[in-house]
Amino acid sequence: MKVGDTYILAKTDLPMFFAAIGHEMRLIAPRAFFGGDVIFDIVESPKEIVWNYGHDIYPPKRFLLPHYEDMFRYTTGDDVRIEPLPAPPKQAIVGIRSCDVSAIRFQERFFGDQIDDPYYRARSENTVLFSIVCNKPPKRECFCICCDSGPYLESGFDVQLTDLGDRYLYEIGSEKGEQATQLGAFMLKPAEPKDTAERKRIELQADSLFQTVAYMAKAIMFVSEDQVPAQVWEELGSTCFRCGACTNLCPVCTCFTVEDRPEPNGCFTRCRSWDSCQFSGFTREASGHNPRPTFGTRVQRRFYHKASYQYILRDGRHGCVGCGRCVSACLTKLDLPSVVKRIRRAMHKYLQPQPASPNSS
Amino acid sequence: MVLTASRPANMWGVTIGAGDRLYLPQIAIIEDIIDETPDTKTFKLRFEDEEFAKAFKWEPGQFVELTVFGAGEAPIGFASSPLEKSFFELTVVNRGKVTGAMHLLPKGAKVGIRGPLGNCWPLEQIKGMDVLVISGGCGLAPLRPAILYILANRNDYGEFWLLYGARTPADRDFKYDLAEWAKRDDFHVLETVDVGDESWTGNVGVVTTLLPHVKINPANAVALTCGPPIMIKFTTIELMKMGFSEDRVVTSLERYMKCGVGKCGHCCINHVYICTEGPVFTYADMKKLPELGL
Repeated sequence: MKVGDTYILAKTDLPMFFAAIGHEMRLIAPRAFFGGDVIFDIVESPKEIVWNYGHDIYPPKRFLLPHYEDMFRYTTGDDVRIEPLPAPPKQAIVGIRSCDVSAIRFQERFFGDQIDDPYYRARSENTVLFSIVCNKPPKRECFCICCDSGPYLESGFDVQLTDLGDRYLYEIGSEKGEQATQLGAFMLKPAEPKDTAERKRIELQADSLFQTVAYMAKAIMFVSEDQVPAQVWEELGSTCFRCGACTNLCPVCTCFTVEDRPEPNGCFTRCRSWDSCQFSGFTREASGHNPRPTFGTRVQRRFYHKASYQYILRDGRHGCVGCGRCVSACLTKLDLPSVVKRIRRAMHKYLQPQPASPNSS
Repeated sequence: MVLTASRPANMWGVTIGAGDRLYLPQIAIIEDIIDETPDTKTFKLRFEDEEFAKAFKWEPGQFVELTVFGAGEAPIGFASSPLEKSFFELTVVNRGKVTGAMHLLPKGAKVGIRGPLGNCWPLEQIKGMDVLVISGGCGLAPLRPAILYILANRNDYGEFWLLYGARTPADRDFKYDLAEWAKRDDFHVLETVDVGDESWTGNVGVVTTLLPHVKINPANAVALTCGPPIMIKFTTIELMKMGFSEDRVVTSLERYMKCGVGKCGHCCINHVYICTEGPVFTYADMKKLPELGL
């Protein structure tokens, strides 16, 4: 059993297999909530896992970068003591989609780059991902195929499962995945050539079924060269409700704010929580000066971070994995595919030669 | 584990390594408090942990994340001489939640320090050159370590000028230093205020009005500037007119900041994190950031 091996896991063995995994670590998986919403959450038993879920709106990134994460606790007064918090638990995220795996790999790289973030590292070291191939795009809004992050992964996964009808093709992609596989190894059978051939057919079929297109190359060109006139950004920004859904639902977004929260016993906890570059308070300084004072500058900021060549050089890839959540969530079409389309149209308008005015002679 | 800052071959960068203690502050004690202006105080700090204090090394231009326990964390630049090993000073303007809480602290109170962070003024690289320091308001604080360092190694540098502008005579920071520096004949200090009062006999006007008095050869000089954005903009324009090249005008920038280590995303200007790649930039580097609008 080693990295790169492929196996077959019968669907009837699935609950037992993940029960074996769940014995060693907590299981995070898509789970049905009251009303039928399927959201990634801690599951007590693998029977609760919803395998054929559509696409959860709330990305599983919060198990690596929690919405509120306690950093340390301290006492105040004469005797100030700083108490670090215990290490995070071991966990397996089961049923995660390829786009979200790509997003987590992006975040791991970002948080480990230059200066290592100890909290993210501790969580990502304790997390193993069992990702699942999308046999067809789970939602109309999906455009991972434009972002090199799905519907299946060539690399970067720990364990990847492909639904082949009555069985799953089980691929090991990392040492972490290999170690986790040992827990249920007796249920796996080596894959046969017909299984890998079937997998190939599913890949080709999935690739052909996408309906949403994001012209990433155009997006990168527009924002990297800073050629989009400010009024285009202001036009786009004028519709923003500043709800922050785009950044909070984005599996790639990493920005956080830090606050000291009082505890009932007189202690304080320093915790970090998600923040959004779409809020005016994101850059506002204590003096009142705000370097990004308008909606347009903030929308520009978001797309600059997502798609500029300058950030691609820093982060190794562009900051969009095509999960389509911003497409579903944004009420005013400030999502990546729409904005690129709207910028293309607007550029066309602004770049046309102005007709000479009759009075100019 | 100690946060260390070293200057790599790259002129403006600094590497930091802190491991698991990256976000945990070290406790420091307020040894003394100096009232600078009605809204500014300078805090003299010493680390509680003597081992840490010995290993703590920083360069002029760097900053720390200052924790006021119970209030939060804010980035503050070093303001003391880098040659002082037993203590360091932070000059804090009372503006927001953390700085407001800091101003209420008495002598002997404990605060948290995380750092040193960021890069530094290029004091080694500019040896042998004339130095023109231009600052406005509390912008003198991050430049004070550089000034004190240059004065301590005065023979390594050429002509040395300071232009300092404040809003009113009462808003002048480091009045004791300014009085001391004015006595030196190897350091030319020119001051101005926006609005004078009956006791003020010096210049009145913005800091750029002092530039024509400066006798310096721009071909072999460097300008170190820090102040409000509007001041930076107009001094840079004037310096360009005087013949300074773009890489010889060096500025310390400021942004709202949380983590100080390039993770929280608040201080980004385009793709550059002010906390790790700055806060010190040359005008040539700043021009590559369209968001600054230069």
